[in-house]
Amino acid sequence: MIGYYISLALRSLRSTPILSALMVAAIAVGVGASMTVLTLNYMMSQNALEHKDDVLFAVQLDSWDVNKAYDNANEIPWQLTYKDAQALLRSDIPTHQVAMHRYGFTVELEDSAIRPYTADIRVTTRDFFSLFDVPFIYGGTWEKTADGSPMQVVVLSKATNEKLFSGENSVGKTVVLNSQPFTVIGVIDTWEPSPKIYDVNNSSFAEVESLFVPFGLHRKLEIYSWGNTNGWDSGEEGEGYEGFLQSESVWIQFWVELSDSEQKAGYESFLTAYIQGQKDQGRFERPLKFALSKPSEWLVLNEVLSDDNRVLGWVSLAFLLVCVINAVALLLAKFLRKAPEAGVRRALGASRNAIFTQHLIESSTIGILGGIAGILLAFMGISGIRYLAMGQLDTVARIDWVMVAAAIGLALIASLLAGLYPAWRISRTNPSIYLKTQ
Amino acid sequence: MLELQPMLSALWRNKVPALLISLQLALTLAIISNIVIIIQERIEKIGRPTGIAVEEIIAINVMAIPQDYDMIGAISADMDLLRKLPLVKDATVTNQVPLSQSGSAGTFYTQPNQKVGGENSNRYNTDPNFINTLGLKLVAGRNFTNTEMQYYDPSEIRDVNVAVITQQFAENIYPGQDPIGKPLYDGDSHPIEIIGVVERHLGAWVDWSKAGNVAFFPIARNTQDINYLVRAEPGKRDEVLKTLVEKLSERDPQRVIKTRILSEYVARSYAGDNLMVKVLSIVAATLSFIVALGIVGLTIFWINQRAKQIGVKRALGATRSNISRYFLVENSLIAVTGIALGSAAALIVNQYMVRDYSQPVLTLVPLSICALLVLVVSLTAALAPALRAANISPATATRSV
Repeated sequence: MIGYYISLALRSLRSTPILSALMVAAIAVGVGASMTVLTLNYMMSQNALEHKDDVLFAVQLDSWDVNKAYDNANEIPWQLTYKDAQALLRSDIPTHQVAMHRYGFTVELEDSAIRPYTADIRVTTRDFFSLFDVPFIYGGTWEKTADGSPMQVVVLSKATNEKLFSGENSVGKTVVLNSQPFTVIGVIDTWEPSPKIYDVNNSSFAEVESLFVPFGLHRKLEIYSWGNTNGWDSGEEGEGYEGFLQSESVWIQFWVELSDSEQKAGYESFLTAYIQGQKDQGRFERPLKFALSKPSEWLVLNEVLSDDNRVLGWVSLAFLLVCVINAVALLLAKFLRKAPEAGVRRALGASRNAIFTQHLIESSTIGILGGIAGILLAFMGISGIRYLAMGQLDTVARIDWVMVAAAIGLALIASLLAGLYPAWRISRTNPSIYLKTQ
Repeated sequence: MLELQPMLSALWRNKVPALLISLQLALTLAIISNIVIIIQERIEKIGRPTGIAVEEIIAINVMAIPQDYDMIGAISADMDLLRKLPLVKDATVTNQVPLSQSGSAGTFYTQPNQKVGGENSNRYNTDPNFINTLGLKLVAGRNFTNTEMQYYDPSEIRDVNVAVITQQFAENIYPGQDPIGKPLYDGDSHPIEIIGVVERHLGAWVDWSKAGNVAFFPIARNTQDINYLVRAEPGKRDEVLKTLVEKLSERDPQRVIKTRILSEYVARSYAGDNLMVKVLSIVAATLSFIVALGIVGLTIFWINQRAKQIGVKRALGATRSNISRYFLVENSLIAVTGIALGSAAALIVNQYMVRDYSQPVLTLVPLSICALLVLVVSLTAALAPALRAANISPATATRSV
């Protein structure tokens, strides 16, 4: 019977090509628009650290100005001062801990034709790779001593290794960064967390840095952050680079891995004791406050999915709703026009159920066609968004198979919902009226 | 003359289709009126005067390769070189590129050692050529002189003595007063004298709530990388752009030099707003179109269904215009119901938009304009079918009764 209904549905669609095209187009546009926006929002809400969501924490300490709270959602600076980061690194409670920031170097090779270029660098402690589960192709991370004293070693991204050493094992070779020789000790595999969860306060959808260098280099190379540096106590900064390191400026991002609740409780009391100790020395004048945020909480706190994205999400869903109501109205018109046919079929013995099923199948046919066209529109919409964002959303504006399946599902549900009332209405047709007027 | 009573009872008999149209119109109005104010706000934001000759400026980022590079020496040599290039109007050195979303800010006070109640401002470290290079307009006081320039290491602390600020910043920090000669403090006891006021400069960040609060200081620091701005003669920007990297590298190959036109920075900074404007406009347009098509389809169906009644009416003496008018009035009744519902929905939705998503408040004027628009769309969509209905021949009434 289903096959027969499908052929009936196709015949019926062909008999009113304009009306059918209109309905397919309405569903397609609704699905296309909502899938474009929902895909974007879905990709922006991804949590690359989901598998470690219960053990990883971004650390914030309220070291800010006593006269004025920090201007963000939880009123604690996003980043730490250098001296607090150093003090926290001395704790042996966390399984892993990372202090880091963004930086840049010029990159060149000795005796090479490659033109010097500038590259984004991450200055970090050695645990970065184990804490964030970064896979290595060659070599590994640096010694713990490199986090405290200057050792010129570097870990390359896969793409950088391709560019400089055509992808071969480059461990032990030398890369020249700002005219200083650095020894390659590791190459990581492709790793593209998007949103860039570990650095959402600079740019959530930027690419991962191309080189990683140890945290012990600051004094030797006088490294300033290429990310945000926020200060409030401009008056009391000491002389020289050391003055900057000891200042109240916040510029270090800090993450810890705490494997269980006991460890977490231990770390919390460590932080409380640390802040108390600093209070005794006249720092941390605001009420004692710190925060340990899971990756999922961190994404929300940092508003990675912006208000604008949420507005677009609601607008597109409302748009789809209008398209569905529109389809209900048009299907109703179409079905009622064919009421005489249904009347004859009823008189010839078709049950109400049969009429209902037949018309529901007709509306799902419209839904499937609309869904397929909608996916094509969504692909166009996504490339439109990539174009309009000028490359700033390339890491998130992409469609995966989950979203393709979701689009078809959405179109089907939309059209079934749209077809429900009209199909019910036509199945209640009283055959006698139509038999009379034939 | 309006047959409202029979019209209402006819509508009541066809209440589901009528309701569906009303509902569509209501949703459309709720969506479009909220979209329109967002679009309007973003267009205004993108169109704000920047105070800068955006189309004539090229930004250059120079990053030294050697660790102990003499950037200060390089700045003077590069400035000499750039300012002498043909088709170049002027050049300046700066710690940040205007409108690039990346820069430096500080809090300034009117009293020494003041810690509370300051005013935030974007801060530039630049040289006296910034006014001419950026195309700013000095409205009071004077520019810096070359003798006021300070060159020093980034880790060094030096007191800066003079500043040029924007009119907006002046009005915020010294409301209703002449700012020239007044001091700025940055939290310590050293006064920085305001020596000049420029009319307008939007600053580094386009999304900042204090955008337009800007202070310029005569400073260049010995950093690893630095930015230059070059202003070309009108229309000659692209020609100048081609030669810059080569000329600068030729003078000193020990750097990595990157150039980008300022208008591209601006476009990138507004990309998010532009995306909102484009996407929402497309949504508003397609939405109106789809709703209009829906109304056309439904009115046609409706008229077909009532072809016999129309025929009877015509046979009983109704004129063609009576018939058309009937359907148009019916459509207006439906539309007005939808608009009433939609206006209420629009205002409710807007409350959430304002509260949760920091979007603009929907006022009566844009709401009424959108309501009128929805009414026009609805009537236009009904017009063709209504005119067609008038063509139904009275003879229809005699057939198959």
